[in-house]
Amino acid sequence: MSEITAPMGGKVIDIKVNPGDTVNEGDEVMIIEAMKMELPVVSSESGTVKEIKCKKGDAIEADAVLVVLE
Amino acid sequence: MDIEDKIKELQRRNREAELGGGEERIAQQHAKGKMTARERIDYLLDKGSFQEIDKFVVHQCHDFGMEKKKIPGDGVVTGYGTINGRLTFVFSQDFTVFGGSLSGPFGQKVCKIMDLAMKNGAPIIGLNDSGGARIQEGVVSLGSYGEIFKRNVWASGVVPQISVIMGPCAGGAVYSPALTDFIIMVKKTSNMFITGPQVIKAVTHEEVTPEELGGAITHNTKSGVAHFSEDNDKAALDRVKQILSYLPQNYRESPPVVECTDDPNRKDPALNKVVPTNPKLPYDMKDIIRSVLDHHEFLEIHERYATNMIVGFGRLNGHVVGVVANQPRFLAGCLDIDASIKCARFVRMCDCFNIPLVTFVDVPGFLPGVNQEHGGIIKHGAKIIYAYCEATVPKITVITRKAYGGAYDVMSSKHHGGDINYAYPTAEIAVMGPEGAVNIVFRKEIAASDNPEETRKRLVEEYRNNFASPFKAAELGYIDEIIFPEDTRPKLISALMMLLNKRERIPERRHGNIPL
Repeated sequence: MSEITAPMGGKVIDIKVNPGDTVNEGDEVMIIEAMKMELPVVSSESGTVKEIKCKKGDAIEADAVLVVLE
Repeated sequence: MDIEDKIKELQRRNREAELGGGEERIAQQHAKGKMTARERIDYLLDKGSFQEIDKFVVHQCHDFGMEKKKIPGDGVVTGYGTINGRLTFVFSQDFTVFGGSLSGPFGQKVCKIMDLAMKNGAPIIGLNDSGGARIQEGVVSLGSYGEIFKRNVWASGVVPQISVIMGPCAGGAVYSPALTDFIIMVKKTSNMFITGPQVIKAVTHEEVTPEELGGAITHNTKSGVAHFSEDNDKAALDRVKQILSYLPQNYRESPPVVECTDDPNRKDPALNKVVPTNPKLPYDMKDIIRSVLDHHEFLEIHERYATNMIVGFGRLNGHVVGVVANQPRFLAGCLDIDASIKCARFVRMCDCFNIPLVTFVDVPGFLPGVNQEHGGIIKHGAKIIYAYCEATVPKITVITRKAYGGAYDVMSSKHHGGDINYAYPTAEIAVMGPEGAVNIVFRKEIAASDNPEETRKRLVEEYRNNFASPFKAAELGYIDEIIFPEDTRPKLISALMMLLNKRERIPERRHGNIPL
């Protein structure tokens, strides 16, 4: 099991995966807006999405867990 | 004893010294996937060029039964030779001899070649594989470390110093590499820490493996202590050779110029489309860097640390340049503490060794946050300013997109001595972003209008068109030329060729007081 965390604080503006989806290393799983930029959150591992810990519009802090993979 | 016997005696002693800690320990070294101290030197230097110094030095310790245990060389192989035909001094710690532990004479051997390197203006390469201080020697060992550290400092900025960590490097021993220009670590077999996992467990009850605490990955990603991580000894030594190909022998010389077989006038129409028109979208700054450098070759330093900042070496028209760039793909390209330190250290290293700087700017500002402020972003950010203002090597800047606020000034701006400052037509150079500026300048108008949201939107758009462009800065001469992105390489080369004989002096002083 592994976690995908926020690279920096910001706002979640798009979630590109659903629970059960398979993700590969390097896939974009989410877009967050920070410093007026839309930054992709990229998975550093491959796995299946177990849980999504945030929803669109959420303000998140740096290093917050966004997605749990298994 | 006749002459033949004397020659045989020398041969016997040479063989003995070359065997270091003996066959068994050499086998143990190989079993760990490590080369021996001598194999490393042979691989690093040009074939047959190595000249050894102090082969028969032994320790003088008479405590703890050490007088019965003497091995010629005493745990370090030192000398000089050439790398690609250029003089290089090297010391290689021998883990098979007393665990590579540092004695008084061991330290003196290292100091001897460091002194020679400084006098003769040639790089010093340290191959580290040592258990630390030789406890039996007591304070003599500490004295030796201190002598080495002093020489590391005195050699800093005089000759390039590169450290390769190829085994343990713990306690005070870490400070010799830490004072050098580059640290290369071998994955899995090397680690660096001031206090090891056992001491940490005893004192703070934290449990951590040596690899997690101070392995190659840790120091290349988290701490930034190391600049490169390599899979094995050979790859690490290859890296040394590659780094040296970008460096001069000493501060009086310029880096080696190679014949350029890549067209200096090469345009790249793809560059016209690299920067997205939507200022919110990230892109890979490395696409621009690789496009403009000779043969697209870029040696990135600190590749995995503070990835919102890119630093490394390349060539333009055969001349070495140090490239600094913001990376909009990570942290929006913001300047934070780690990126500031990474950038400033690289800029100063380039200035030490006459390496012109090429800076690509796309920076929305400094990273906001309590952690950043409390972590001292003020003093760390100031390092970038200090480094650029102090640097007298040629400085060329290309603003590709955002250059906002203080971050505009910081990134090799005209005001900090940029010699030639270019901007792409996509550049947005302003005191702050349109949204923020409009909220301040037109606060009352927005509040008083019938439809505040509409008014704000209109004003933001107006501000973006009028101010978030390179033209205001160009009108003031802060930007020398607005260039077509496809012309970046020819433009950079023409500026660099113009600046090759640049001479500039900053006011005399003992030395500056960089905010550390």
